[in-house]
Amino acid sequence: MRLAITLLTTILLAGCAGRLKMADRPKPPGTPYVDALVERAMHDRLDRSKQWLRLGHYRPERFGDGWLSEADHPRFFLASDGQDNPRAELEATLRGFFLPPVQELPVGKAGFARHPICRFPARLAYLAEALEIDMARLPTQACPRYGKFLGDVNPRSVTLVFSSYFLNNPASAFGHTFLRFNKAQTMAVGQKRELLDYAINFAADVDTGNSVIYAFKGLLGLFPGTTKRMPYYYKVREYSDTESRDIWEYHLDLTPKQLYMLVAHIWEIGHTHFDYFYIDENCSYRIHMMLEAANPEIELIEQLGPAVLPADTVKVLFDNPGLVREVTYRPSLRTELMHKVEALDSEQRDYVERLADRADAPLPGDWNDARKVAVLDAALDLVDTRHVKDLVFKRDPEAARKKQSLLERRADIRVPSEDRPVPVPWGRQPQIGHGSGRLGAGVGLRDADAGLLDGGFLALDFRLALHDLADPSPGYPELAQLEFLPLRLRLWKSEDDAEALLEDFSIVRIVSLTSVSRFDMSMSWHVDFGLRELEGEGCRRCLAGKLRGGTGLTGSFADEAVSLFLTADAAIDLAGESDVGIEGSFVRAGLGPAGGLRLRLDPELILLTRGSFLFYPEQPDPRVWRVDSALRWGLSQNLALSLEGAMLDNRREGQLLLLGYL
Amino acid sequence: MKKASATLLAMTLGLAMAAPVAHADGYGTAGCGLGSILFGDDPGIIQVLAATTNGTFGNQTFAITSGTSNCADSGGGSASAKAFIEANRESLSKDIARGQGETITNLSALAGCADEAAVGTTLQKNFSEIFPEASVNDTQVSESVLQTLKSNTALSCKLLS
Repeated sequence: MRLAITLLTTILLAGCAGRLKMADRPKPPGTPYVDALVERAMHDRLDRSKQWLRLGHYRPERFGDGWLSEADHPRFFLASDGQDNPRAELEATLRGFFLPPVQELPVGKAGFARHPICRFPARLAYLAEALEIDMARLPTQACPRYGKFLGDVNPRSVTLVFSSYFLNNPASAFGHTFLRFNKAQTMAVGQKRELLDYAINFAADVDTGNSVIYAFKGLLGLFPGTTKRMPYYYKVREYSDTESRDIWEYHLDLTPKQLYMLVAHIWEIGHTHFDYFYIDENCSYRIHMMLEAANPEIELIEQLGPAVLPADTVKVLFDNPGLVREVTYRPSLRTELMHKVEALDSEQRDYVERLADRADAPLPGDWNDARKVAVLDAALDLVDTRHVKDLVFKRDPEAARKKQSLLERRADIRVPSEDRPVPVPWGRQPQIGHGSGRLGAGVGLRDADAGLLDGGFLALDFRLALHDLADPSPGYPELAQLEFLPLRLRLWKSEDDAEALLEDFSIVRIVSLTSVSRFDMSMSWHVDFGLRELEGEGCRRCLAGKLRGGTGLTGSFADEAVSLFLTADAAIDLAGESDVGIEGSFVRAGLGPAGGLRLRLDPELILLTRGSFLFYPEQPDPRVWRVDSALRWGLSQNLALSLEGAMLDNRREGQLLLLGYL
Repeated sequence: MKKASATLLAMTLGLAMAAPVAHADGYGTAGCGLGSILFGDDPGIIQVLAATTNGTFGNQTFAITSGTSNCADSGGGSASAKAFIEANRESLSKDIARGQGETITNLSALAGCADEAAVGTTLQKNFSEIFPEASVNDTQVSESVLQTLKSNTALSCKLLS
């Protein structure tokens, strides 16, 4: 798997990993003291020290034995060849600190720090300690803007924040991570005012709304990734309110010195950008590079695979004992709503629904205030979950009037709302989920009509990422499936030699089920795009390109332990060298119902059965049906046993696989 | 197999080209409102991509070295309270109607008010002045909230000038 990705990324990256071209810079004049410092630094090989390399975001070169910094702006380097020469950069940095003082920009002005002392405070702190620099000999350089930055952030501690999946958008199942500095003064009063803390976010600066350009630029690292600071409330409103994403918070145990190094280093990288690669050098990767730079004792990056998934970066925090001090949870607005509704009786629920449609509908006169408040509060949250973006962008006056009317009614009742915190769903913590890749092997048996491969076979399974509906459920959304490059291969033993057959392969396969309730009528849907062994009689052992999708409804019961779904599907098969398609061509097109049942017998034991019945009108195989079933048992976090069966018109087969998640 | 993979490639390209495309002018509004950081378009491929890959629209306001602009400041005082109210409007309106809640706690801290419970009750009482109708804009809301806090001297919101 690693090899494949390395190859892929190498091809993608070839040509764009070019180095910065910088004009030669004049070497600052030395004094005997500076010369001595440089000599000592070189003697101690500080240029090869872990922290120096980490502060410079240097990584071993892909080809060759040198170092190359991932920072992509010359402002981050003081030596003209600093990007690939940590030694020259170290010398230039030391000499730079002793340059005569300059006038820095005043507080409130946007721009970059000029003097190396103001631009590289983390480098200064590290080198001052390692070389015992006599601070009195440094020039007297004021850094007003850096001082303001430090004072604003003013951290008592730091938290790694993981925003989990986005309901009805499995693409966000990967999640996102960023940092939050917990202000000293808000923690000191013992009251949670974390909305006012500062979030540090690393993301691609996107400059296009065109999805094709977006995809290509992101894969090729053509967007600059930059570090931004904003009040945490922007992130809470974005993820919790508008995207229905629950938030997990990992409070890190850093010493005051490490905390200072982290803040100082973030200021430094505010002077550069890093080319943003979706697959590896992404938001979560860069956050970990920052944490490592601040703390040479922790190891995060080495634990990561070639593709960096935010959830995996949470897992590697736990490979460093003691690093995570505490885990907390912030439910999304939608989760809060569902929790509120649970506490209501059925009469109240009727009124919540009614009010969300007709905000002026009267409530029964014999209700007490508490009853009315519970219904109005839930109705307000319901209107928000349905219309939050319309409200933010002021594009639906009707929704705004509805909310206004409910707000007025709520404000008239001067009774506090009941405080019922959402219980923390510990079983959904991303770090307890199975690994993101999957490899498996097993044996199977097929009973098929003549012309098809028959008998025993060896089954092989591979998947780049991430999760399907039958995989053990801890740490993952219950009803979302997101798969990249899932592959099933079979090896058959015929009379004289073995034969390999591709059973099923997808580029991407997504299933998004949303349980329909009176408060959420979202549609469920699925798409699958790849290659598979063709069903039907017309073309035996044919491999066909497949594009399948469908949309429908899901009903879930017992806390999503039982889910039933039904969709209307469409399929287009491109059946290679055959003529089973429309008017003798190789293109088949079908339509029909599909559905399934998923039983979570235990978080680690899932039974999933799916069936479909497709009509291919006016084509050689007019009716194709199939039923697939899997019973999967998680033996440990990263190991599962899967018993699977399939029934089609012309074949029945079963297989037992051992699946390892990596 | 060869033909199949060729068709697969064609399908990939076809799918990509046919994907609905959002327009770059669809996102972002002026000011500190939440709209300044969100995709404004209806859900489309671009949003799915952004959700997958965590792309955002570059906002200079939030650059590390940009100095402290109003929107990026949560240090306390009128300007940061104003930005807070605008960005949290939808959530704050509910807390004001309820007379309590997280946004009121945080706003009280920004404004330096002594008693957040009293802030909640006062804002709730003044609901109809702050939100007279659905169409008031975010700036009007922030101005009336701050006016309410300032004019009720008993709240002693000492960071508001």
